[in-house]
Amino acid sequence: MHTLRESEVGLDLLSDVARSFCTRDAVRVRALRDAGGEVDRAMWGRLADNGWLSILVPEELGGAGIGVDAVAIVARALGRGAFPEPFAAAGVLAPVVLAAAGDAKRLAAVLAGEALVGVGWRPGVTVEADGRLRGETRFIGVAGADAYVVAARGEAGLGLYWVDAGWVETAEPRADGTRTARVRLDGRAATELVAPGGGAEALLDGAVDVARVAVSAELIGVADAALELTLEYLRQRHQFGRPIGSFQALQHRAVDMWMARELAAAALQSAVAVFVDPESAVVTRARAASGLKARAVHAVQLVCTGALQCHGAIGFTDEYDLGLYLNRALALAPWLGNATEQRRRWLELSR
Amino acid sequence: MSPTPRYGEPQERDWNALSDAEFRAIVRAEIEQHYPSELRYAPRRLLWTEQSAWIRRLLARRWIAPGWPVAMGGMGLGPLKQIIFMEEHERWGAAYYREHGVVQVGPVIMRFGTPEQQDRWLPPVLRAEHHWAQGYSEPEAGSDLASLRTRARIGPGNPGEYVVDGQKIWTTMAHAATHIYFLARTDPEAKKQAGISFLLSAIDAPGITVRPIRDIAGHSELCEVFFDGVRVPVENRIGDENAGWTIAKSLLGHERITVGSPSSCEYGLELLRGLARDRGSFERPVFRDRYAALALDVEHIRDAYAGYKDLVARGEEIGPDVSMLKILSSETFAAIADLIVETAGEEGGLGGDGGALASFYRARPMLIYAGSNEIQRNIIATAVLGLPRG
Repeated sequence: MHTLRESEVGLDLLSDVARSFCTRDAVRVRALRDAGGEVDRAMWGRLADNGWLSILVPEELGGAGIGVDAVAIVARALGRGAFPEPFAAAGVLAPVVLAAAGDAKRLAAVLAGEALVGVGWRPGVTVEADGRLRGETRFIGVAGADAYVVAARGEAGLGLYWVDAGWVETAEPRADGTRTARVRLDGRAATELVAPGGGAEALLDGAVDVARVAVSAELIGVADAALELTLEYLRQRHQFGRPIGSFQALQHRAVDMWMARELAAAALQSAVAVFVDPESAVVTRARAASGLKARAVHAVQLVCTGALQCHGAIGFTDEYDLGLYLNRALALAPWLGNATEQRRRWLELSR
Repeated sequence: MSPTPRYGEPQERDWNALSDAEFRAIVRAEIEQHYPSELRYAPRRLLWTEQSAWIRRLLARRWIAPGWPVAMGGMGLGPLKQIIFMEEHERWGAAYYREHGVVQVGPVIMRFGTPEQQDRWLPPVLRAEHHWAQGYSEPEAGSDLASLRTRARIGPGNPGEYVVDGQKIWTTMAHAATHIYFLARTDPEAKKQAGISFLLSAIDAPGITVRPIRDIAGHSELCEVFFDGVRVPVENRIGDENAGWTIAKSLLGHERITVGSPSSCEYGLELLRGLARDRGSFERPVFRDRYAALALDVEHIRDAYAGYKDLVARGEEIGPDVSMLKILSSETFAAIADLIVETAGEEGGLGGDGGALASFYRARPMLIYAGSNEIQRNIIATAVLGLPRG
C-alpha cells in the first residue's frame, strides 16, 4: 500500500512491478483448481500487501486514492499471468462499494486482505419491513467469502446489506475451476449499510461499471498471453519442413487475433481516460464501460479460440498452458454481462 | 515577416503557431463557407474541372499544398495539423485536394530532385496547373509491384533520352491528368527491386495512350496507360538510375495513417442510421444487434486512430503496425455497406449514384487499393508479429 501511494506518477513503474509479480505459475493454478477452487488466501494477502485492493479507495478511508488507470494495469497483469484470484469481484467491486457506503471499519479488513467480500448486486432479493432479507442472488464472481454485500429492494427502494457468510451460499463452479457464490436468503436478519432509497442504485451502477473496466483489462491480459503463446508456437513448430508460422493461412489468422487485441487495448485506453477524468458524466462512464467490456470479450474469445486452432491438438490438452487462458476467458466473459448484453446497453446509452 | 518563399507566395500566418483547436476552427470555417454544397459527399472522384471553383478558392488562400514547407510555397503544416486539415474535409464531405503532384510526386522531387528539377516541376503544382497520375501497377505487377516490366532504354543514337515501352493499369484519373510519374525498368539484369527508375512525362507526349476503364459501378476513375516508343529526356528522371524503388517507398509514416482514417465508416454509419430510421429497422432486435456491433467497431477504430494521432503529435515514428487501421476501417465500412443494402430491401438492387448501393461500390475498392488487405496482413505478420516469411 505504502509503495503504491508513493508512485502516483509512476504508472510505468507499477506496470513493471505488476508484470514481474504476475508471472504465470501454472503449477499453483492447477493445484488450486484441482483442490476445488478455493481462493488462495495467502496469495490474496500478498495482493493486499501490494496495495492492489486499495487502489480506488480514497486516502481518508485508508486507501491509495489512485485512479482506474492503475486498476487496469494490475488487472491486465493478473490476466496475463493466469491468476485465478477474484480481483475484479473482491478486490475492486467490494472495496469500491464499501468505500462509497462509507463503512470504514469493514473496509479496513477488506483492504488488509483479511476479509474476503463479494457483492450480490443483481436484482432478486427483497427486504421486508422488519429488515429481514429474502430471495437469491447469483454470479457474485467469488465464493467462500467471509461476507457478502447484498442489494435488496424494499418499499422505499434499493438498500445495501452486510450478510455474514457460512450459511447462505452454495458455490457454482466456473469454466476455469474457480467458483462463484449463489447466495440464498430465507428471512435472515442482516446489517444495513445503505438504507432503501439512500442512493444504493447509483452507487452500485457506478461500482459495477468500474468492475467492468477491471475485468475487461484482465481479459485483455488473458488475450495478451494467449497471443504470445501462439506467436511463439507458430515460430517454433515445424511441419512440411517449415515453421508453420510461414503459412499464410495461419499468418492471416494471427494478424486478425493481434488486431482484435490491439483494438481492445485502444478501447481500454480510451475508457480509462473517461474514468480518470472527474468531469466525465455518469452516462459517459457507463457507456465506455459497456463498450469496453463488449470489445474485450470479443477480442479474448477470438484470440483464445484462434490460439487453440493454431496450436492444434496440443492446445486442447490440460498439460499445455493455453487451456488455463481459454478457460479463464470462458469463465470471465459472461460475468457482469456478455458481449451481446453489453453492446445492447452501449447502444441504449448512445442515444 | 517571413522571407519570400522560393516558390509561390508567403502564407498569411504561421499556422503551426496556432493551437490545434484554433487551426481546426479556421479550416472548418473556410470549408463550411466556401466549399460548393453540390459537391459534398460526391459518390465518385471529381474531375479537376468539376472542382474548379473550390480550387480557385484554395489558390487564393495559398492552401494548395498543406504539407509542403512554407519556403516551397506550402502551408508548412506539421504532421498533426495536416491530419486535422484532412479531417475537416472528411467531416464536411468535401473532396480533399489530394492531387498527386501535391501529396506524392512533389515531396519526392523536393527530397530527391535537383534544384533545376524543383524549379521546373514544383511551381505548376502550386498553381494547380499540373495534375499528376501515378503509373505504378501493371497487368502483371499488382501486389507484386517490383516485377513490373515497362521498359526504359537509353535511346539508340541519343544518350540524352529514354525510350519507354510498356503498359500501366489501374492508373487513377489518368484521363484527367496532365502528367504522369511512373516506374520503369532500366536494368533488366539486376535483382527486380534494383533495376527500376522513377520517371516523369507529360501525359500527352507522343506514344502515350490513355484508355479509361469503365468500372462495375458505371464510373471511369481508373485507366490503362500505354507507352509506345515514348521519349523521356534523362533530366526527367528523379534520383539516380535504378534508384526508383527506394524513392517510391519513401512515403512518410503519417501519410499511411490517413489511408486508415475511420471517416468512411462514420459516413456509412450515418447513412445506415438515416435509412434505418426511415424503415423503422431499429424496432427489430436483430437489426439493433447488428447495428450496435458495427457502431461499436467504428467507435473503437476511432480510439485506435486517435492513439496513432497521439504518436504523430509527439513526433514519434509510425511503424508498419499502422496498416491495422486501413484493414479495420475498410472491412468495417464494407460490412456497413452490406447492411445498408440489406436494410434497403428490394431498393437495394436499384442503380444510380444516390442509391443504397453507392456505399457498396465505394467500399469494395478500399479493400484492394493502397496494398490489398491480404498484402497488409502479410506485412503485419512478418514485420510486426515476427513470423517467418513464407
